[in-house]
Amino acid sequence: MEEKLISLEELNMSEDELFARVDNDTLSSEKITAPRYSYWQSVFRVFFKKKINIVILILLAVIIAFTYVYPVVTGYDPDKDPYINVTDGTTKHLTPGKAFERFGFSLKWILGTGAAGQSTFDSIWYGSSISITLALICAAINMLVGVFVGAIWGFSKKVDIFMTEVYNIIANIPYILLISVIVLIMTASFWSMVFALTITGWLSIAYFIRTQVIIIRDREYNLASRCLGTPITRIATKNILPFMTSVIVTLAATEIPSYISYEVFLSYIGMGLKDMSLGKIIEAAQNAMQTPGWEFEFWSPVAIASIITVVLYVVGQNLGDASDPRTHM
Amino acid sequence: MSCAHPPIVIINERKIAMTKYLLSRLVRGLCSILVVIAIVMVLIYSCLDKMMIFKLDSNWTKMKSNAKIAYQMQQWEKYGYLDYIPYSDWLKTLLKSGEIDQETYDRVVKFGDTELKDTPEVAQFMEKFKDYYESKGYKFERKAADKIKNKYKEGGSPIAYVYRNTPVWVRMWNYLGDLITIDNVNYVKDDIADRGLYLEMNDPAYGGEKFSPAIMGNGTRHKYLVYFDDQFPYFHQNLLQIRLGSSYTIRKDIDVFNIMTDTQGSFLNSTVTYPSGLVEQSADNLHSLTYVSGSFENGTVIIKDRYVDDYTNLSTYKNGMSRMGYSFVIGIISVIMAYILAIPLGTIMALKKDKFIDKLGTFYIVFIMAVPSLAYIFLFKAIGHRIGLPSTFDMENPTWMMYILPIISLALPSVASLMKWLRRYMIDQMNSDYVKFARAGGLSEGEIFTKHVLKNAIIPIVHGIPGSLLGAMTGAIITERVYVVPGVGNLLTTAINQYDNGVIVGMTLFYALLSVVSIILGDLLMSMLDPRISFTTKGRK
Repeated sequence: MEEKLISLEELNMSEDELFARVDNDTLSSEKITAPRYSYWQSVFRVFFKKKINIVILILLAVIIAFTYVYPVVTGYDPDKDPYINVTDGTTKHLTPGKAFERFGFSLKWILGTGAAGQSTFDSIWYGSSISITLALICAAINMLVGVFVGAIWGFSKKVDIFMTEVYNIIANIPYILLISVIVLIMTASFWSMVFALTITGWLSIAYFIRTQVIIIRDREYNLASRCLGTPITRIATKNILPFMTSVIVTLAATEIPSYISYEVFLSYIGMGLKDMSLGKIIEAAQNAMQTPGWEFEFWSPVAIASIITVVLYVVGQNLGDASDPRTHM
Repeated sequence: MSCAHPPIVIINERKIAMTKYLLSRLVRGLCSILVVIAIVMVLIYSCLDKMMIFKLDSNWTKMKSNAKIAYQMQQWEKYGYLDYIPYSDWLKTLLKSGEIDQETYDRVVKFGDTELKDTPEVAQFMEKFKDYYESKGYKFERKAADKIKNKYKEGGSPIAYVYRNTPVWVRMWNYLGDLITIDNVNYVKDDIADRGLYLEMNDPAYGGEKFSPAIMGNGTRHKYLVYFDDQFPYFHQNLLQIRLGSSYTIRKDIDVFNIMTDTQGSFLNSTVTYPSGLVEQSADNLHSLTYVSGSFENGTVIIKDRYVDDYTNLSTYKNGMSRMGYSFVIGIISVIMAYILAIPLGTIMALKKDKFIDKLGTFYIVFIMAVPSLAYIFLFKAIGHRIGLPSTFDMENPTWMMYILPIISLALPSVASLMKWLRRYMIDQMNSDYVKFARAGGLSEGEIFTKHVLKNAIIPIVHGIPGSLLGAMTGAIITERVYVVPGVGNLLTTAINQYDNGVIVGMTLFYALLSVVSIILGDLLMSMLDPRISFTTKGRK
C-alpha cells in the first residue's frame, strides 16, 4: 500500500478542534483489558489448528453417514434380504471382482458377498449401526453414573470406605460371567446387553474419577475456596468439574471404542447379541477365514470395525487434548 | 537402653505396623472373595433357570416321562441344587442299618402304579418315608405310572421321592469346608482292617527294590501320601489337597484344580509294578491311587488283575503340560518380553518427545488401544502364517516354534500399554521442579535421567509386575482360542457355555484369589522400592 501523508494544514481546523486533552482516568485504569476468553471457543480453535483433525473429522462424518444414513437409504434388513439363502450357490462367498461380474458394478458389492450370499458391505454397515448405538448408549450411561458417583466417592470419606469395599468385591466378579448370566436370564437382546454392560461398567469409571477428585480436592485453590466459605456443591461444580473436563473427554474417548471392541469379543466367544452386529458378522465370517480364497469375507468386517474404533479413539483423544486449558496458550 | 538405638526401634515399629497393615488387607481381601463367591453362587444357582443345565445333555433329550423327572432330580443333586432321595434309596439305608431285613426290602421296594394300588405294607412304608422326610423340611412327590394299554410307556414306571432345595449359604459352607482337605486315616467310611500310615523305604510302585521312601496309608483317601518320583520337583505329597469343586461337563467329577494342573496329551508309558505284582508298560500313575468304595469287588478283570484293594482310581502320565503349564509358559515369557521391550522403548519415546520415533510409537499405541484385540491377534496370526510359523498348537508334536505366535500376540499389546504409561510418567517427571533444579545445579542430562527420572517413573510400573506375573497363570481367552492352546484361558468361557457350575465357581475363586494377592504384592513391592510410600498411618497426618 502506498503511504499517504496528510498535512494538518489541509484540514483547515484550529488547534483546539484537532486536539483535546485527555486526563488520567482513574476509573478506566482500574479495568484490566484482556482478550475475551471463551473456553469452548478455545477448545475448537486448538482442535482445528491441527490439520489431521479435520481429516479425521471428515472420516468420522463419512462413517456416521454410512452407519446411520446408508442402511436407511438402501433399506437393508438382514431378515428380508432378497439375496440371502437363495439356492443359487454361485452368489455365495464372492470376492468383489467376481461379485461385480455377477451383479454389475455398484457400491453394494464393493466388498463381495458373504456365506449366505448377502452383500458384505450392506450387512457391515447395518451391523455397525447396532454396534455403535450400543457403544454410545453404554458409554453415555456409564459415564453419567460413573462421573456422578465418582465425584461423591472422592469427596466423602464415609462413602469412600464403603465404595472401596464394594469396588473390591465387584471388580473380582468375572465380567464375562456376569454378562453371560444376565444374557441367559434376559435373552441376548440389545437392551439386555446394554443392561449387562452397564450394571457394573460404571464402577471402574467412578473409581477413576474418584482418584482424580482426590488429587484435585485438596489443592491450595480449593482449600482457599473452602476457607472463604464456598459451599461444597459449588466447589464441585465450579472448581473441580471444569478441571476434569479434559479427563472426562479423554475417558469417554477410550470408552466408546472399547465397547465396540468388547461387543466383538463377546460375539467371538459366543456370548454376544442375537442381532447381526459387527461382532456377530465377524464371528459368522470366522469359518470363511479357514478356507483359502474366502479370507476377504473375514478381513473386511474386521478392517471396518478397526477403522471405526480408531477414528472414534483419535477424535476423542485429540478433543481431550484440546479441552485441556493448559494447551490453550 | 532403647533410647540408645532409636532408628532400629523405629524400623521395627514400622515393620510391625506394615505387617499389621498387610494382614488386615489380606483379611479384607479374603472377606471380599467370600462375598464374590456368594454372589456368583446366587447368580448361577438361583438366578439361572435350573432347566438350563440340560440344554446340552443328550441323555436328557432321549429320556421320557417319569424317568426324565428322576434323571433331572439326580442331575440337580449332582449339580448341587438340591438334596434328592428316592424311595428305594431310603429303603437301602434302612436295610444297611438293619432296621429291615432283605425279605422285607424285596417285598416293599416295588410300589403300585398309583397310591390306591399299593399293598398295605408298602403304603405303610411310603407313609413313614413321607413323614420322616417332611418333618426334616423335604418335599414329597409321587408320580403315577405312565401307561398305554396296560403297558408302561418308555420310562413310565412310577416314581416316589423326596427333595429339598439347598440354600446358598449351606452350599457355600460345604464348598468352603471342602476347599482344603487334609488326608487322614479315617477318611474311608467302609469297614476296613489295618487303618494307619506306614513308611515304605522301597516304593512298591518301582518294584520294591529301588530305594525310594514313601509314606503310604490305609484308610486314607490317597494310597500315597508322600513320595518321590522322576518328575519335577521330585518330592510330592497328597496329604494336603486343594479342591476348588468338581466339574460336571468339562471333565466329569474331576476337581477344577486338577483340571488346571493335570498333564494333557497322549499317554506316556513307563514300567509299572501294580500292587498285585503285575509288571507292565503303562501310563498309570500309581502314586495318584485313591480309594473308591467297592471298586475292587465290582471291578472288571483288568482291575482284579492289578489291584488288591479298593485303591483303584488313578490318573495317568501324559506327554504334554497341564493347562496351567501351557498358559503359564506362554504368559510368563510374554510378560518378560513385554517389560524388556517396553522399558527402553517408552524411555526413548519420552526422550525424543514430538520427534519421529515418538510419533511412530504413539501410532502403534493408538493402533493397539483402539483396534479390537481380535483383529490384531488375527493379523499377527496371518502375518506369522505367511512367514512360515506354525499357527496352531499341536500337543503331540511339540516344537518351540509353536509358542512364538501366541507369545508375540500376548506381548505386543502389553508392550503398548506399558510404553504408554512409562512415556506419560517420564514426561511428567521431566517437567517437575526437582529436575529443573538438578539441571540448574549442573547435573548432566544422563545423570538426571538415570538417577532421578527413570527411578521415579518406574515406580507405578513396578506396581503391575506381580499382577502380570500371577496373571500369566490365568491364560488369555482370545489368544488361546485363536491358536488352539490347551490352556486355562478358555476354561471359564467353556464352563459358562456348557453350564458347568462347579468349574464356574472354582475359576471365580481362583481368579479372585490371584487378583487380591497380586494387588497386595504390588503395593508391597512399591513400598519396598520407594521409601516415601507408606501404607501405615503412623507419621502421616
